[in-house]
Amino acid sequence: MTNSIPELEESDCILVTGSNTTEAHPLVASRILRAKQKGATLIVIDPRRTQIARYADIFVRQKLGTDVAWINGLMHIILKEGWENKEFISKRTEGIEELKKELENYPPEKVEEITGISRADLRRIAEAYAKAKNASIIYAMGITQHITGTDNVISLANLAMLTGNIGKASSGVNPLRGQNNVQGACDMGGLPDVYPGYQSVTNETIAKKFEESWNAKLSRKPGLTIMEMFQSIEEGKVKAMYIMGENPMVSDPDLKHVEHTLKKLELLVVQDIFLTETAKLAHIVLPGVSFAEKEGTFTSTDRRVQRVRKAIEPLGEAKADHEIICKIAKRMGNDSFNYDSEEKIFEEMTRLTPIYHGITYERIEKDGIQWPCTNSEDPGTPFLHKDQFSKGKGTFFPIPYREPAEIVDEEFPFWLTTGRIGFQYHSRTMSGVSPSLQKEAKEGYVEMNPFDAIQLGIEEGEKVKVISRRGTIEIKTKLSFNVGRNMVFIPFHYFESAANVLTNTAVDPISKIPEFKVCAVRLEKIEEENP
Amino acid sequence: MLSYETILTTCTYCGCGCGILLEVLDGRIIGTLPQKDHTITQGGLCIKGWNVHQFIYDQGRLKRPLVKRDGKFTETTWEEAIEEVATKLNRIKEEYGPDSICGLTSARCTNEENYIFQKWMRAVIGTNNVDHCARL
Amino acid sequence: MLDENIVSAILGLKLSHGHPIPFLFTKSSELGKWVFDESVRYPLTKILIKIAQKYPDQKIGVVVRGCDERSLIELFKNYQLQKDKVIAIGIPCSQDLANRCRCERPFPSEIEDGEFAKPVEDYSDIEEVEKLPEQERFLYWMSQFGKCIKCYGCRNICPACFCPSCTLEDENLIKPGGMPPEIPIFHLHKAYHMADRCIDCGLCEEACPMGIPVRRLYRKVKKAVKDLFGYIPGENEDEKGPLEFLGDGSYELPGTGK
Ligand code: SF4
Ligand code: SF4
Ligand code: SF4
Repeated sequence: MTNSIPELEESDCILVTGSNTTEAHPLVASRILRAKQKGATLIVIDPRRTQIARYADIFVRQKLGTDVAWINGLMHIILKEGWENKEFISKRTEGIEELKKELENYPPEKVEEITGISRADLRRIAEAYAKAKNASIIYAMGITQHITGTDNVISLANLAMLTGNIGKASSGVNPLRGQNNVQGACDMGGLPDVYPGYQSVTNETIAKKFEESWNAKLSRKPGLTIMEMFQSIEEGKVKAMYIMGENPMVSDPDLKHVEHTLKKLELLVVQDIFLTETAKLAHIVLPGVSFAEKEGTFTSTDRRVQRVRKAIEPLGEAKADHEIICKIAKRMGNDSFNYDSEEKIFEEMTRLTPIYHGITYERIEKDGIQWPCTNSEDPGTPFLHKDQFSKGKGTFFPIPYREPAEIVDEEFPFWLTTGRIGFQYHSRTMSGVSPSLQKEAKEGYVEMNPFDAIQLGIEEGEKVKVISRRGTIEIKTKLSFNVGRNMVFIPFHYFESAANVLTNTAVDPISKIPEFKVCAVRLEKIEEENP
Repeated sequence: MLSYETILTTCTYCGCGCGILLEVLDGRIIGTLPQKDHTITQGGLCIKGWNVHQFIYDQGRLKRPLVKRDGKFTETTWEEAIEEVATKLNRIKEEYGPDSICGLTSARCTNEENYIFQKWMRAVIGTNNVDHCARL
Repeated sequence: MLDENIVSAILGLKLSHGHPIPFLFTKSSELGKWVFDESVRYPLTKILIKIAQKYPDQKIGVVVRGCDERSLIELFKNYQLQKDKVIAIGIPCSQDLANRCRCERPFPSEIEDGEFAKPVEDYSDIEEVEKLPEQERFLYWMSQFGKCIKCYGCRNICPACFCPSCTLEDENLIKPGGMPPEIPIFHLHKAYHMADRCIDCGLCEEACPMGIPVRRLYRKVKKAVKDLFGYIPGENEDEKGPLEFLGDGSYELPGTGK
């Protein structure tokens, strides 16, 4: 997030898109509703009528996968009306002319046709957002899990820069990350092209710095992304995979394919606290511990580095994940994996990572600190891009609209989108064994519009087949006007009725995020076999 | 021995980063409370947070390393498991090169664990093939 | 008290990592970390139930404010705690806090030291809603309830909620799942259940992440019970709640044979 969660409360206009905030990030939703109570205008743009949409001043449904079009449409109107922030544009940005040219192609009539959002609504949204003093954008996987995910994100940044709604308290562009420490995993270099703190592996000076500290020769070649890893396993180039605490057997798109692929490996090692669907395929499974059995830090979605503290001893012979890795590293013949404590690991990391440089366990003993925090005096950074962007000036990138990778046709007439629900978490390894959560949401379902159900002769709670080009699942229906016509929604948490059997593996060319949020399916009644 | 304490820590479910207290009675976690004076939490949690302790003692928790022999998992010792992983990785690395190995770190693990994991992949295995499931 | 073996432990707040958090003091040497923070309230009496269940024979001291003491009375009455096993260590609230809480009894019956704050009788929060026309009042509550994320925090934190099987989780009464939960059934069930038990501490409202004024609702119901039956929960230990004769099973208590 460019802002902090508490700051949202002071925004006077909040645009929420592709985020079912009350279910996936409840404590962020709580701030949004507080802002609303203080008089902020709340705009929700989502294919589903989410809980937060009920409180919106303006709620519109866009057609799936048309985000670039409506964002460009808003900017078109803003420029036409002269609502842009000219001072911000001239002082802090570059590339406005190229953007302007591209935006000419998005007059409201055309955008209305592509997105299904009416001209009048587009205008109202553009006006409310552009004229606000401190407007904030909030988005989540509904924006990123598309083949145009990167385009969507850049477009939102364009919109924010055009109106000067960034680099201030309570005003910015705020992605909400899915899992608790995604932010931290990325910050720590859990990415194929960067070391901790987003330092490029191809940069010679940086690579040298790490080589010196780690006393090893390091590769300058960026590694494979998760989707590329699976591909390379298929091609026989990757032989071994080591998975620490992830369950791609539920979370990846096109599950059948993932299973088939993982089985090809010569060596699959999984480190987890449960025997997950992925672990079942492994050759070796190593028992890790839960967050309650170890010391360390998490970094929350607003870049807040906070302590995790040990409450109990590890169960059985289970060990903290870093301990296991250190043991393996040592056994493989490396002697730079000797740490007496988690704090020592943290210290080594902060020495090498400028954005974490000023953070110590001592400083976050009481409360967390938000990075960047570059020295011991630095109080941390509640909001980013205050006087300049990380690369100096902010660049506008003109983004043309592209259709989703798969669109509905006669054979597959329904749009399918997937998402989270508030009572379950990710692949359910933890929430699925929590009685209080499981009680609220035992099984998966497909949410569909009651009118569509009538047309297909389908009833509430009936088990139906949902079929896509990649697979079929059987699942109970749940009728609700929260989804529009010709569209269905399936929570992705359930292995037994995994939505990701159906979803498309087409990926965004840059972020490599798969298009989970759009694919085409058809629904069929299940004929009784012995009438 | 009668003992009850609460441990101040951070919720492991979503990225809001709520401050929670794990209630520990005689060395066993029995409940979760919201941290009253936490910037984000302010005394309120969602249903996942309130029940974040429930999965910890689940029956299905893995307590010992497992190796698959003839398609079936059998328990083994840490020493043997580590030995096997290290030897096999070394062999694969030698035979096919470091880029034939890849690793997924976790958005559920701590920063320290993620740091160690990528350092190990990069410095010991010798590849940048590190990613995580957060794109998903 | 610890040294003289009057109690085997005292439940209070300890300063840990710079924050006051609940802790059971068993040695007098630990009391150096003892704190009392006006603004931070944890449901100590409710925590005490969990400890007492495991250690029914130990005498335990607990730090109480006015509201905590009222909850103790309810808990004694409903066999959740044994009176002779609990020693209340009374602490008064400041006038400032009493005003903020609109507390009618901001002090326990006995206090260790400090001054009694003046009772506050202020029903303006309820009146504010009451004076709305019916339609708007309905909309007000519906829009409040619609924010609910079914965290059960209002119930979990409540020092007067203790039933082993909660009606809010009874599938026959309230559908599982749902965000928001079925409105207004979820909230009215809770309000009805709290009517003769709520000791008006306001912890529920503090725990609601969505800012739903739940206490306001319970206060209203509680006031109705007071006007109707002349009953005030948390006042008199020998008086049973008027709704108990309904016998809806919610008072089944573990180990009390009741
Ligand atoms: S309590 Fe809920 S909102 Fe807070 S971090 Fe945990 S899962 Fe997220
Ligand atoms: S005010 Fe709320 S928390 Fe306190 S007793 Fe009443 S219902 Fe329970
Ligand atoms: S605390 Fe608030 S959000 Fe949670 S269940 Fe109660 S009313 Fe609903």
